[in-house]
Amino acid sequence: MPLKALDIYKLLPRKNCKECGDPTCLTFAMKLASGKGEVDKCPYLDDNARNILGASTRPPIRKVKIGVGERSFAVGDELVQFRHEKSFYHPPGILVAVSDLWPAERIREVTIRVRDEVLTRVGADLLLNGIVVRNSSGEGPAFRRAVEAVEEVADLPEVLMAADPAVMEQGLSVCGHFRPLIHAAARENYKGMAALAKNYGCPLAVRATAPEELEELVGLCTGEGVDNLVLDTGSSSLHQFLNVSTAVRQQAITRTTPAFGYPVFLDAAEYGLQDGALVTGILRYASVIAVEEVDRASLLALLTLRQNIYTDPQKPIQMTPGIYRVGTPGPDAPVLLTVNFSLTYFTLQGYLESSRIPCFMLIVDTEGLSVLTAVASGKLSEGLVKESIKKFELEKAVAHKTLIIPGYAAPLSGKIEEETGWKVLVGPRDAAEIGEFLGKEWKR
Amino acid sequence: MTIRTLTDWTGVVGTVMLGATAADGGTRSVSYTLGGESDLPFLGDPPSGHIPLVAFELCDDPAIWPAVVREYAGDLSNDPGKWAKAAEADYGADLVRLSLTSTRRKDFSGYAALKTTIQEVLRKCRLPLIVEGSNDPSIDSEVFAVCGEAGEGERLLLGTAEAGRYRSVAAAAMAYHHAVVAQSPIDINLAKQLNILLHEIGVPSDRIVIDPYTGALGYGFEYSYSVMERIRYSALKGDTDLAMPMISAPTDSLTVKEVRDAAPAARQDIAVKWEYYTALSSAIAGAAIVCVRHPRTVPLLKDTLAALWSGQTPGKV
Ligand code: B12
Ligand code: SF4
Repeated sequence: MPLKALDIYKLLPRKNCKECGDPTCLTFAMKLASGKGEVDKCPYLDDNARNILGASTRPPIRKVKIGVGERSFAVGDELVQFRHEKSFYHPPGILVAVSDLWPAERIREVTIRVRDEVLTRVGADLLLNGIVVRNSSGEGPAFRRAVEAVEEVADLPEVLMAADPAVMEQGLSVCGHFRPLIHAAARENYKGMAALAKNYGCPLAVRATAPEELEELVGLCTGEGVDNLVLDTGSSSLHQFLNVSTAVRQQAITRTTPAFGYPVFLDAAEYGLQDGALVTGILRYASVIAVEEVDRASLLALLTLRQNIYTDPQKPIQMTPGIYRVGTPGPDAPVLLTVNFSLTYFTLQGYLESSRIPCFMLIVDTEGLSVLTAVASGKLSEGLVKESIKKFELEKAVAHKTLIIPGYAAPLSGKIEEETGWKVLVGPRDAAEIGEFLGKEWKR
Repeated sequence: MTIRTLTDWTGVVGTVMLGATAADGGTRSVSYTLGGESDLPFLGDPPSGHIPLVAFELCDDPAIWPAVVREYAGDLSNDPGKWAKAAEADYGADLVRLSLTSTRRKDFSGYAALKTTIQEVLRKCRLPLIVEGSNDPSIDSEVFAVCGEAGEGERLLLGTAEAGRYRSVAAAAMAYHHAVVAQSPIDINLAKQLNILLHEIGVPSDRIVIDPYTGALGYGFEYSYSVMERIRYSALKGDTDLAMPMISAPTDSLTVKEVRDAAPAARQDIAVKWEYYTALSSAIAGAAIVCVRHPRTVPLLKDTLAALWSGQTPGKV
């Protein structure tokens, strides 16, 4: 059972010395109670307290970091089964597979693509996360050369997939100090794999096809001193993956089966339906996903889905309200009113940029609601527009008093004119038509 | 596989029948039971309830239909009857959703043509049919009456009831024995409220399919996804006002920026994937029917749903 903040507080030294980074022992206790703190940050705990707290305040799913440097990523550390209960925090890493049977040139090409291909959405750069090196050859030297080819062109996180610890070691001799995920320890090779994970300080995937075996294997590997584990459920079908992964998540967050308190691995290429496996994995608790090369169409959709699912459902991504400039607008440039929902801002801004007409954007605070939603709920009102013009000193920025409003805000046009004294031009509904609209209607 | 999820619910999603075969006095080749689930989607061996159905959506006036689809379907898009037949024979859809986009025209008055269109679709295609009527309250009552009558005996799914305008569609459904789509804007409380309103005027639960409104991927889907999960969860927890099967019908999936601005050579592929990712996610969140508009999305989805369902027999009765 998770402990309450006050129970935890009673176990703390109550020195309020701030060394844990929190202002008081009580705030530290509250952090631990919510699963967000690390017990070890308090240097003054006695052994008894450390034991009790360690077991019950550890995040129910261990946080595991893969890779080093800029592109490294952390997975796990999730608290809920449904994102509406709170949020999901650590989006799954998606890593593209190369085979050690391929010529080095092809491996480098795939790696470069993963390194460079970006999708910019809502102001965020969405990327694939790394490279999976598969030991299809069964041989050590080929595996090592494949890892070398990856390392030659990128510092990306890697998953090394080989069944034989001796082969694995060949790969690790190239990149072992960059925290690749070692895949995988199974019943027959776990000692060797665990020893490698320990030597190199790498996270280790454990793979078993039956849940009881997986539980046992986790115990064996932690017994060997490896704590950073990732679970491969070895599922034989997509149906089975969804079922096992859901059960693992549930038993982890309820702390029913502590051995399941680790992030889950999914090989999306295993079931012949890669897009389906990607969707299932993103929605149903996969944290490290291996894929065969994805085309641009799949890439757009999958990165967008991952972004959607890992956006806090309680907080739309918002812009700070104010006046924004596109290009270098002069005092005669048009002013476009819009809301502070990031998606709205970036959509409009994108089209304005491609229209090449310098202008101002007046972003008003609708608490992150889109135009239509804000109009429907009454958050976008003539009062808000008036207040924003004043607050952001729009009259100092331009030498005219004409405001272009979104087409969906047309019902407000009369009221805005009345309230603000500004002339209102109703723009198109669809931001894609803004360039054409400005070209025709903006004559100053 | 022995691992089980720990369920603390006893509720069941209620069932709704769609389509009437000869045995039931209709002319459909198949009928479906939606709902009946007693667990989260796809969980269990075999899962409870029925495999989600894929509806191919087409329209009677393609002027406002996504350009990618018109481009792909060519002439078919001007002939709802032939198009519906292709949905059955070529695309492999489970059912067809006919969107009466002609009613969106200014000063619409073509009621007789609506009737012909619906009958033509019913004649050329033997799948159960969803009919999406007008979205203008001033013509609702006449449009829905025509739809209801044209499909009499076929157990249609008629749409759409909303909080401000549900009487006409409900009346037509009750008079001609169809089920109703109940749509609310991505809000579990509004979904519940609408169901209660429908109950109050005599529409029973086994004639209601919840449409929680599906925003397109990247354009509101993050909200729709969670609302669907919450509705399913509430049903399992025993809230009978939310214990109806759901339909997901994103209207904007194929007109998003990513599709419109795509290079022509890549546009079809992007459209299919965009729709596929949205529809599959909706099914995993709990939708009993997922509607798509690109023909190529249908077989992709059906294969994946079967794999997630693990080869169980589809929800045909
Ligand atoms: C996601 C969503 C939500 C999310 C909120 C998302 C958000 N951050 O705003 C949630 C679930 C919270 C929500 C709630 C509600 N929603 Co809502 N929601 C949507 C949905 C699916 C997508 C909105 C979106 O993200 N659009 C994308 C952005 C980019 O669009 P946009 O801001 O309008 O910007 C575009 C244009 O306006 C234009 N543009 C923008 N700025 C400018 C500026 C100028 C000068 C110009 C020329 C153009 C321009 O460019 C953009 C791209 O073309 C829409 C359906 C839809 N298709 O729009 C319904 C929708 C807007 N919601 C609706 C409703 C009714 C509501 C609620 C009022 C329901 C309720 N009673 O609870 C609430 C209100 C919220 C509140 N807090 O009170 C209705 C509105 C009905 C109407 N026609 O008035 C819609 C249309 C759904 C429907 N059909 O029923 N909603
Ligand atoms: S370090 Fe320990 S003793 Fe010091 S304030 Fe934090 S919890 Fe209290």
